Amino acid sequence: MKSPKNLRLLMGTILLAGTAAAQDVKLIANSSVRVDAISITDLKSVYLEEKTSLPGGGHVEPVLAKSGPAHDAFLRQILGRSDSDLQLYYRSLAFTGRGSIPKTLDSDEAVVAYVAKTHGAIGYVSIGTRAEGVRTLDLGSEARSDRKLLARVEPDYPETLREHGIGGTVRMRIIIAPSGGVREVEVRGGNAALGEAAAAAVKKWKYAPAAAETETEVSISFDAKR
Amino acid sequence: MRRIALFTILFGFHQILLNAQDFKLFDRTVQFHGFASQGFVYTSDNNWLSMGSASGSGAMTDMGANVSTAITDKLRIGAQVYDRNLGHLGQWHPTLDWAYADYRFTDWLGVRAGKVKTVSGLYNDTQDMDFLRPFALLPQGVYPTAIREVTIAHKGGDIYGHISLGGKNGSLQYTAFAGERDDSKYGGYFYLEQTPPPVLVLNSISALQYGGDLRWNTPIKGLLVGVSRFSESNEGDGQFDAGAGFMPFSQSSKADWNNQFYGQYIHNKFEVEAEYRRSWIDEFLYSGAEEVQTNAKAWYVAGSYRVFRWLQVASYYSDLNVQSPIGPFGNSNGYIHDKDVTLRFDANRYLNFKLEGHFMDGVGVPGVYPGGFFGIDNPNGLKPGTNAVVVKTNFNF
Repeated sequence: MKSPKNLRLLMGTILLAGTAAAQDVKLIANSSVRVDAISITDLKSVYLEEKTSLPGGGHVEPVLAKSGPAHDAFLRQILGRSDSDLQLYYRSLAFTGRGSIPKTLDSDEAVVAYVAKTHGAIGYVSIGTRAEGVRTLDLGSEARSDRKLLARVEPDYPETLREHGIGGTVRMRIIIAPSGGVREVEVRGGNAALGEAAAAAVKKWKYAPAAAETETEVSISFDAKR
Repeated sequence: MRRIALFTILFGFHQILLNAQDFKLFDRTVQFHGFASQGFVYTSDNNWLSMGSASGSGAMTDMGANVSTAITDKLRIGAQVYDRNLGHLGQWHPTLDWAYADYRFTDWLGVRAGKVKTVSGLYNDTQDMDFLRPFALLPQGVYPTAIREVTIAHKGGDIYGHISLGGKNGSLQYTAFAGERDDSKYGGYFYLEQTPPPVLVLNSISALQYGGDLRWNTPIKGLLVGVSRFSESNEGDGQFDAGAGFMPFSQSSKADWNNQFYGQYIHNKFEVEAEYRRSWIDEFLYSGAEEVQTNAKAWYVAGSYRVFRWLQVASYYSDLNVQSPIGPFGNSNGYIHDKDVTLRFDANRYLNFKLEGHFMDGVGVPGVYPGGFFGIDNPNGLKPGTNAVVVKTNFNF
């Protein structure tokens, strides 16, 4: 295996907080929610009321903003639904008794205030909002908080691509087995050949053991100039 | 007049309700929600849905209101009252639509007990709430609104859960149910059996219902597929008069089930869905003196597109094919092909209007499986084709 220096490779595992989703949105939670991070899958399930608890995090309940850029970004990038679709979904739960319509608030400040005082509440606000009295959650990084990365293998930069100055970032969703091994890697974005190299490396990573399988998202950047 | 007064009162509360859908009671948040809708139907030729629709009818009103609260993080309770007046059905007699306690042990295992809406197909449990979908009327072969009481809810319980299959495989939702049928004597099933001759009055019907639903949220974003099974074993009693005075009547089912397969795909403003339902009913009537078999196959394909925030266009084609190899009408069969076009106008998220056209061929076999047509409403006989215009408005909070 070549060293990162010789490969002139810049790599880093970044949180999804670095992507468009979290550039627009800050996730916040009541202090009773005992996690520092949540995956997109879990977050979506919480907002669709399929999940009412998080592994190790206790009871959770979603809080909505009525409108605004954070609301639009959250719907588009996390839930993949329009506002009208989401409202109809919640109404279908409320009118069959299978759930309730989440608390919906007018402003980022109101969301922060409500989340701060409400047991289990999770909300989203614009990235610049002051989040006092609440916990700020990372998105897609359970591994950082709950599954410590113990052993990391760097990918081989395909020589042809490097010579032609082809680089970029590969985004992957990975499933980590309870034993700590990476059970599954799904490349979600980036050059296909770089994705292959990145996935091969990530499959060799080793995380801290845990009681259950977890998911997370990781990104690796390939910089041909370095 | 009663409808006008009701709607005036409800509209007066409209603005208040929009901003206050919960309140505190003993330090718990109690949510309350409600809806009301009013429709008008005009049909060519045949009367439809037990209404005098061939002359134009506004006897199409329904409403509901519910309260619910979380007792603990895992336990919820709630109840909903529902009332409707659809032609000769409902007749303003309110019913307890659902009322149950829901305990979720974990995300993949929960139980509900009480009177529970029956999950079957895409819309069985939400078929009354037309504000949840583009259409004023669902395809009647799959969701016959006239006999909604037969399948809408059960007094018993559900076991349900949501299972994540990992990032690549999507997730599963399952529901298994069992309970007692809770039919209403103002419902379409009782109305159906009045069809002469002979004159028949059903007093009561009881049935054990059981089944389940399994749906897969596939890894393809927006794609859902599922399957449902519904079975019942019923017994009923009443009186009939074949011309020599009333005599005791009884009925019992030998087999009564339906299987339903469905899929739905949502992409941004576009939605398409399809369902297929096969029903098989084999009953003994008149204390076993007569057997009636009904084999109904129904399917539809529907699509919708939200053109603007305030306008949605939608359409479906539905097909109902009914065979009754043994029964009061001999070996009979029939069909209904319904082509629907709908415009939905949303004034805001609480108030909408719908304009809908139906172009139907055939009337099915009304005496055994009402796809919307009843012989009793069409004493001069049914004509083969029916066009309908439906105008409906709804508000909900």
